[in-house]
Amino acid sequence: MNMQCEQFEQILEQQDDGALPKPALAHLEACAACRALSADFGAIHDMALELGAEVIAPPERVWVSLRNQLETEGLIRDPQAAPRSATQASQGWWAVFQRPAVAGAFLGLVLAAASTVGYWSNFAQSSAHYAQLAPQQDTSSVPSADSVFKEEVLTVGSDSIPGLQRQDTAVTDSIRRNLQIVDNFIAICEKSVREQPDNQMAREYLYGAYQQKAELLAAATSRSLTGGLQ
Amino acid sequence: MNASSYDLRAANTARSRTSVRVGALGAVMAGFILAASPAHADRIEKHFSVQSKPKITVRNSNGRIQVKAWTRNEVLVAWTNASGKSVVETEEAGNRVEVSTRMSEDGVSADDSKTDFEITVPVESELSVRTDSGNVTVDSVHGDMTFDTVGANLQLSDVDGYMVVKTIDGSLVCTRCSGKLEANSISGNVQMIQPTLDSLRVQTSSGNIFFDGSFLSRGIYIMKNFSGTIEVHFASSDSFDVNATSLKGDVINQATFKPDTHGSSHPASKWGHSLSGTMNEGHAKVELSSFSGTIKILKRD
Repeated sequence: MNMQCEQFEQILEQQDDGALPKPALAHLEACAACRALSADFGAIHDMALELGAEVIAPPERVWVSLRNQLETEGLIRDPQAAPRSATQASQGWWAVFQRPAVAGAFLGLVLAAASTVGYWSNFAQSSAHYAQLAPQQDTSSVPSADSVFKEEVLTVGSDSIPGLQRQDTAVTDSIRRNLQIVDNFIAICEKSVREQPDNQMAREYLYGAYQQKAELLAAATSRSLTGGLQ
Repeated sequence: MNASSYDLRAANTARSRTSVRVGALGAVMAGFILAASPAHADRIEKHFSVQSKPKITVRNSNGRIQVKAWTRNEVLVAWTNASGKSVVETEEAGNRVEVSTRMSEDGVSADDSKTDFEITVPVESELSVRTDSGNVTVDSVHGDMTFDTVGANLQLSDVDGYMVVKTIDGSLVCTRCSGKLEANSISGNVQMIQPTLDSLRVQTSSGNIFFDGSFLSRGIYIMKNFSGTIEVHFASSDSFDVNATSLKGDVINQATFKPDTHGSSHPASKWGHSLSGTMNEGHAKVELSSFSGTIKILKRD
């Protein structure tokens, strides 16, 4: 009996290391979406190992449920579809947070992806493995973790938080102002990393700034859904 | 609602009775006063009987929160909301007391949502406070505490425990704090005055960090920011290893350090300014790090 995507995902989640069982490999060969999913897991796993840190374990089923829900709601782009405007993109991103069921999973992704992108200077090493794992990635409609993070989160600016509807302007102003501060730090750190690729400290600060942005957006989210504290 | 809870409304009507006695003019004036002070501006109190080490959770979007300690096994929650548009809900379950505010209608302004709390708890209590704006003060409480604020400034005095603070641009002033402190902010300043902390981890992006206290033996002190100043004051009797690096800023040092004698080599960073060494026996570990801010290691007067 041929394996279904759901069964493959369960095996992938339970698989710590080592080769996948034969039926799973057969399914992987035939299914582009599961190849992309496997590649995302692999890339995160590899980068965590390269950093000498503990393996970053995405929340259970986060990738699967996230992908399904974002696709269902039309919040992630098919690479072949027409690109959205910046406004549409940010509204689409923020719309994610209007759905509590998705918000938790998305924030999990953000933090995991922040870890991934934060060490982007190491990305070249793992990209070969990434490409090897997912030779047909370009034809998949599933975006990689880092592309989702870059396109859907880093593009959120201080003036593009449509969900932040608070009567307390001091709070909204504070969040916007601090988002600007963090964006500014990200830009400065990225410049430093580009100029000094082997500067580990600059990279750590870049990672920290990404993480801070994710946390700030999470804080904004928890205070915006109903106009008050959650 | 718990049976042990009860409401006490401070009766403004009592004030009006007094006013009547002083004649017609007084009565008229009292009438004006009452009209200007609606009934919902009254101070309302609730008492909760608890055992030792209760957990108290407070969620208030806007307003002052004052927490102080007493020796009774009882939690007293008192609040005022001038507009009457804020609804305070309380819950007691076992040794847990939760207090939260919500608006009685949509579109309530920030001013109308302002609810001030005075909360008195047993000395040994666990606290969790979540607020957006309005200052938070905690005095003489011993126990684990978490604080999550946007712009609210936080003042902790004579507290002891494991404290976790998260603000966006609220500041933290910790006076005579003991135990462990983790503080994270984006643009808030963090000050530790006469702390006796054995574990400290402070991170702020654009805020300043100020530490003036003792480095306890075996303590670990990590202070990090992006810009802004990190200022650490030490006494000549302090015993600590230090490692300070500012990538784009300066490191100003008044201490005479000897090379680290604990086997850890800290080669000078080829990026930015850095400093490492040992003061006395190097019992504590101090790590100071900034991207573009200035780090100052200064002798205490």
